[in-house]
Amino acid sequence: MATVIETRGLTKRYGRRPAVEGLDLVVEQGTVFGFIGPNGAGKTTTMRVLATLLRPTAGEAWIAGHSVVQERREVRRAIGYMPDFFGLYGDMKVWEYLDFFAACYEIPAEARRGLVDDLLELVDLAHRRDDYVDALSRGMKQRLCLARALAHDPQVLILDEPASGLDPRARVEIRELLRELQAMGKTIFVSSHILSEIEEVCTHVGIIEAGHLVAAGRLEEMRQRVQAQRVVRVGLMRSQPGQVEQAQAWLAGWPDVAHVEPVAGNAAATAEGDLLVTFSGDDETLARLLSEMVGAGFQVVTFREETGDLEDVFLRLTKGVVS
Amino acid sequence: MRRLVERWRAVLEHPIVRLELRRIRRKRWWPGRRFFLFYPALLGAVLGCGVTVAFGPRPGAQLAALGSGVLGLCMLNSVTSLLAFALAWIVPALTATSLARERELGTLDLLRATLLTERAIVLGKLGGCLARLWPGVLALALLTPFQVVRTTGSILTPYPSALMLALVSGTRWSWAGLALAGVAGALRPWSGLAFHAAVGLFVSTWSRSSGASVAVSYGAIIVTRLGLSLVTSLLGVVLALLPSLEPGLPEAMWNGMLVMPSLVTLAAVLLESAGAALLVWGAIGWLKRT
Repeated sequence: MATVIETRGLTKRYGRRPAVEGLDLVVEQGTVFGFIGPNGAGKTTTMRVLATLLRPTAGEAWIAGHSVVQERREVRRAIGYMPDFFGLYGDMKVWEYLDFFAACYEIPAEARRGLVDDLLELVDLAHRRDDYVDALSRGMKQRLCLARALAHDPQVLILDEPASGLDPRARVEIRELLRELQAMGKTIFVSSHILSEIEEVCTHVGIIEAGHLVAAGRLEEMRQRVQAQRVVRVGLMRSQPGQVEQAQAWLAGWPDVAHVEPVAGNAAATAEGDLLVTFSGDDETLARLLSEMVGAGFQVVTFREETGDLEDVFLRLTKGVVS
Repeated sequence: MRRLVERWRAVLEHPIVRLELRRIRRKRWWPGRRFFLFYPALLGAVLGCGVTVAFGPRPGAQLAALGSGVLGLCMLNSVTSLLAFALAWIVPALTATSLARERELGTLDLLRATLLTERAIVLGKLGGCLARLWPGVLALALLTPFQVVRTTGSILTPYPSALMLALVSGTRWSWAGLALAGVAGALRPWSGLAFHAAVGLFVSTWSRSSGASVAVSYGAIIVTRLGLSLVTSLLGVVLALLPSLEPGLPEAMWNGMLVMPSLVTLAAVLLESAGAALLVWGAIGWLKRT
């Protein structure tokens, strides 16, 4: 896949304070890249540099092959930028707002009429076409902002916290829209604090902390990277007294099992007698373990690998440091 | 002419100017086409009055013209001066909030992320502010010819006007003085308006709050106005010492009545215009840097 966003040694300092230090990032075409990090990590600064709103102190960045420093106009043509605030003119009508920004992207007046209708249809705001922007709900405003960012049919979308401050329904709507845009072939570079949201839509993730890129790659690769050992959750029937303790001792005797412990703090789980098994073998060994466990007479109810979510990845890779 | 029309169309097609015009149209300030029927009639009457006073064969005709025209000229003089003053002091309130307000709303970044250049944004906001004042700006434009009549052929002052002086002496220098007085009179209200607008725009470019931007702009305008008064006063003193270029006319009359006021006004016009251009250029540069 072609590279759409690339940064090399990207550095931005505000006075002496570094916001981003030597950031090397590659985002491929058609991916949804989640850019996550704690507050003050440098996410917004990176996005503003990519959107040509800030000049980097050092290093370079390219969007669709154009330098964000040398070819700002080409970069602006290639990106649709949505900041972490609405940026709306409340006294304008919904269609006027989109028409205005379409005009700012030099779209001729004849083409704008149809375009505005199409955009409103895409973000499901066609029924609010003639309403004032101020009259829209937060979720609608966010969708309108997304429509604005799409006005010139950009190749790349840079979305800074698109789900911030939205209710669950509006978040789902934004998520669905992002999926739709990905299906349309857009490359989406999105930051968010809500990791579950990112996890559901992103194909790739980059974690930034204190201005440094801690890790980047496919979501699955990231999960595997933080989990050197696999954790398997084994659920047992408690019909036979002492089965959980016996199983714990039996599992501990396996050479690939590093540690076995009962699941704590969950009454519903312990009622069935769940065990967490830290395991370092491959899939074949894991299958043999299950088969021998059943063969040994243990009544296994559930046997599943704990994959760990993005929150685990994030917490393991970051130290809570800000610039 | 065609290029001028195209240029004007491009200004009207500018997205930010269009945005302001759309907002204005919603408020329905347009006075209607009939308003403009009065303008040629009024201009013709005043010019006719001036010509009759200057070239009238009999004192009776001149007196009649004076009787009918004085009131009108007094009114026009007051209206033009008041309008020029009011516009010049209203416009900073609009320009000072223009970009600062965009920054407060968070729309400045959005505009900068579009294909609009920084120059287009700054000039568009300036044009938008002037568009919001269009009734006043249009009225001032319509009154400017009267302003020229007033400064060149004033019959209300105790000393002879530039027109009278030119007519009496009929020399090359006196006609040049007449042209100078006309140009200075016509440009002065506009240069003042441009300078005040540019100060507001410049402050607005780097201000984070529109309230602070307005306060700083008015403060800066008052300080620069005091400085400008000082410069023009000094220039007046220097000019008063120059010898008369007109043989036969006393120096005090030459300098005091024709050259000095016009030159001082022209100097103020030049300073204000240069200041305005510099400030707009600075605003564009500042926006590019941030």
